[in-house]
Amino acid sequence: MTGAAGETIVRMSELSVSSTPGHVLASIGLGSCIGLVLIETSRPLAGLAHIMLPSSNGDSDAPVGKFADRAVPALLEKMVSAGAVRTRLEAVLVGGAQMFSFGSSTNLDIGRRNEQATREAVARAGIEVRAAATGGGKGRTVRVCVGTGLVTVKEPGKAEVELFARAVAAGRPG
Amino acid sequence: MKTSYSDLQLDALRELANIGSGTAATALSSMLGRPIDVSVPAALALPLADAVDAVGAPDASVTAVILPIYGDLAAIVLLLFPPEDAAMLCGLLGVDADSEFGLSALSEIGNILGSAYVGALTTMTGLALEPRPPETVTDMLGAIVSSVLATGAEETDIALMLDSDLTVEGMECSLSFMLVPSRAGLSDVLARLGLDG
Repeated sequence: MTGAAGETIVRMSELSVSSTPGHVLASIGLGSCIGLVLIETSRPLAGLAHIMLPSSNGDSDAPVGKFADRAVPALLEKMVSAGAVRTRLEAVLVGGAQMFSFGSSTNLDIGRRNEQATREAVARAGIEVRAAATGGGKGRTVRVCVGTGLVTVKEPGKAEVELFARAVAAGRPG
Repeated sequence: MKTSYSDLQLDALRELANIGSGTAATALSSMLGRPIDVSVPAALALPLADAVDAVGAPDASVTAVILPIYGDLAAIVLLLFPPEDAAMLCGLLGVDADSEFGLSALSEIGNILGSAYVGALTTMTGLALEPRPPETVTDMLGAIVSSVLATGAEETDIALMLDSDLTVEGMECSLSFMLVPSRAGLSDVLARLGLDG
């Protein structure tokens, strides 16, 4: 789905990759969900997955971005198909908040479990998490700009802030 | 996992929501001393990606009262108050929406309406339902709705929401009232209504 000019909205359980310089990928209103950003550091290429739950438990019919254990390899594969070199990928994590307290004492703290599962899957893929805005009790919107590798986060009632920026080497396809 | 609902099942759930929200409207009416209009509820069964947008703009600010329900049907009752409507409701109750009394008034409205709704469901279905104390949060609509859906999304890729609107008659003041049942509990409810499978 396309929002404002040059912005692709990545909705719950979806993932998207773009290689158009200046194009923005965004997930609006992450609560317990995780927005996983992957950035290719040698070319204009970025991906975003809007992950809802930690583990698929073998459910292979679900939308590919729904579970962390399937979303991370799927996003990685999509990045590689678009020309990414695995060793030049960096990750940024946003979300994983606990919006309500009623699940806090049980395994229902989905936000924390989502972050943990996503970090594990990213580590298994050999990708380093370079920045994160996770946990807490507030919703967040994440945007990543293809090419500049600029990742911003916005919380309700606050200004949009820069979380991460990766200067991408220009004009040198690796 | 794919799950879907037949038209007959959705009709039955809409009727459940209709009786529940009618009872809740009566409770709100006696609280405010004003007549309340209830919309015909919508039974939304949507792919996860479409679910949040069906409720509203994901970056819109809302105050939500959340009542978890345990017992025979695990579910969440969710009341959403847009800021202007929350202010007007608080005004009708004689409290300032931005004060702590405002939040606790909204929380109490949520508690009374949610309990009325759940009571009606219990009477109708014979299910033992136990509402827990409400929680009130103000945040982005998308963050609230997606986190509520995530609690029940393990077993299904279809988000089911029974959505009604309550409006204070003659005023631009409404709130959205939703029941988000878990898939497992819902199978029992449909079975009791003779609509399983």
